[in-house]
Amino acid sequence: MKISVDYPRCEGHGLCADQAPDVFSLDDDAELTYRFEGTVVPDESRPAARAAVNACPVAALRVLT
Amino acid sequence: MPLRTDIPVYRPDLYSASAIRDTYPHYAALRELGPVVWLSKHKVYALPRYAECRQVLLDDDTFASSGGVGLNPVANRVGQGTTLFSDGEDHARRRSLLAHRLTPRALRTMKDTVDQQAAAVAEDAVARRTVDAVEVATALPMSVVPDLVGWPQQGREHLLRWAGATFDALGPLNCQAARTLPASLGMMRYARAVVRDRSALDGSMGHDLLLAADEGRIMPAECATMMIDYLAPSLDTTISAISSALYLFALHPEQWRLLKADPDLVPKAVNEVVRHQSPIRAFSRTATRDTELAGTAIPKGSRLLVLYGSANRDPLEWDDPDTFDIRRDAARQLGFGQGTHGCAGQGLARMETSAILRALVERVDRIETTGPPEWALNNVIHRLERLPLELIPA
Repeated sequence: MKISVDYPRCEGHGLCADQAPDVFSLDDDAELTYRFEGTVVPDESRPAARAAVNACPVAALRVLT
Repeated sequence: MPLRTDIPVYRPDLYSASAIRDTYPHYAALRELGPVVWLSKHKVYALPRYAECRQVLLDDDTFASSGGVGLNPVANRVGQGTTLFSDGEDHARRRSLLAHRLTPRALRTMKDTVDQQAAAVAEDAVARRTVDAVEVATALPMSVVPDLVGWPQQGREHLLRWAGATFDALGPLNCQAARTLPASLGMMRYARAVVRDRSALDGSMGHDLLLAADEGRIMPAECATMMIDYLAPSLDTTISAISSALYLFALHPEQWRLLKADPDLVPKAVNEVVRHQSPIRAFSRTATRDTELAGTAIPKGSRLLVLYGSANRDPLEWDDPDTFDIRRDAARQLGFGQGTHGCAGQGLARMETSAILRALVERVDRIETTGPPEWALNNVIHRLERLPLELIPA
């Protein structure tokens, strides 16, 4: 599972980081960053990552399977 | 594909005074009928379930806003030029002018002020002990939002009435909309005067718009409509969320105890309040091509009504949807909309609602109603008009 982030669309609401703290975080500038190595979401984080995608208020996240 | 005659029909008026005051039974009946329901009274397809509401909100190519998101042709024409009523590049341009002022990052500098004002509101309310929940809920947004948008001091006394009327106008052309029409025109007139006199407060969002017009990034005429675009939805909606929160916690003292035991639940509680009592009932979209939704043919040009309040109570999406539970994961609720048109001010709304809840949870042992709630009559905003409460100090 990979997730794409549409950065121009992201407004830093941070709901993804609340939903999936192991996958996403907001840095000090409220820019979205990945918390894992590489580009593939680790198995154990997938349900949370999906919830994060669903919670994004501006639909900036997308699951690329 | 099934013909339109196969589509279930709902005859009651969703915008009658009684349906506004007691709206949830109508939503339940609509959800029971199917994913797409024809409202014969308003000649529009209603989407009462979560999945289709979300699908439409996320597909703004097929389901456009530029034909207006209201339910009557007058508002859908008058509102042209707003961010709310635009698509594609126009929308991106208008949203980018102001939305950056409202991101959680931009709002950080306001957090201390909002927290201090929330503390003052809570202290005053606890000192009075018997309060009107709506009055308590109104104080913080009114002390924060008009300054941010840059609305001049003079004229603020009309803001709430004008903003409410602007929402009424987005419903059908019923007596409710007719009654408040003069007030919504009043807001338009005043906004034009603010642009003409350049009286938006320095450094405010309104001031940004004036500068954008000076630099030719927007048309001068867009200034006034965009000011309303951002001001009108920023008051009633947050007042709705805060007063509904107080009501829900009064009805469910065990939930208040949960919040007292763990104030870190506040952000989840805000999502759950907005899910359970969504401040905006519905906005519409127009199909830009012949399409299909949940197996139902939707002809090009059809108007669809996205019922946020109903989607957020859909049992196909939520366990025990009518139960208020702040431990629930309600982050995917649609009360702020979602996608391209997702509420630009939700960071501010979350900040204000969270600040009030944190300030009260420190100071209030329990919340009790001392009289029946009275719901406001508005076509689009779902909120309390009055709710007598007693705040029992901690």
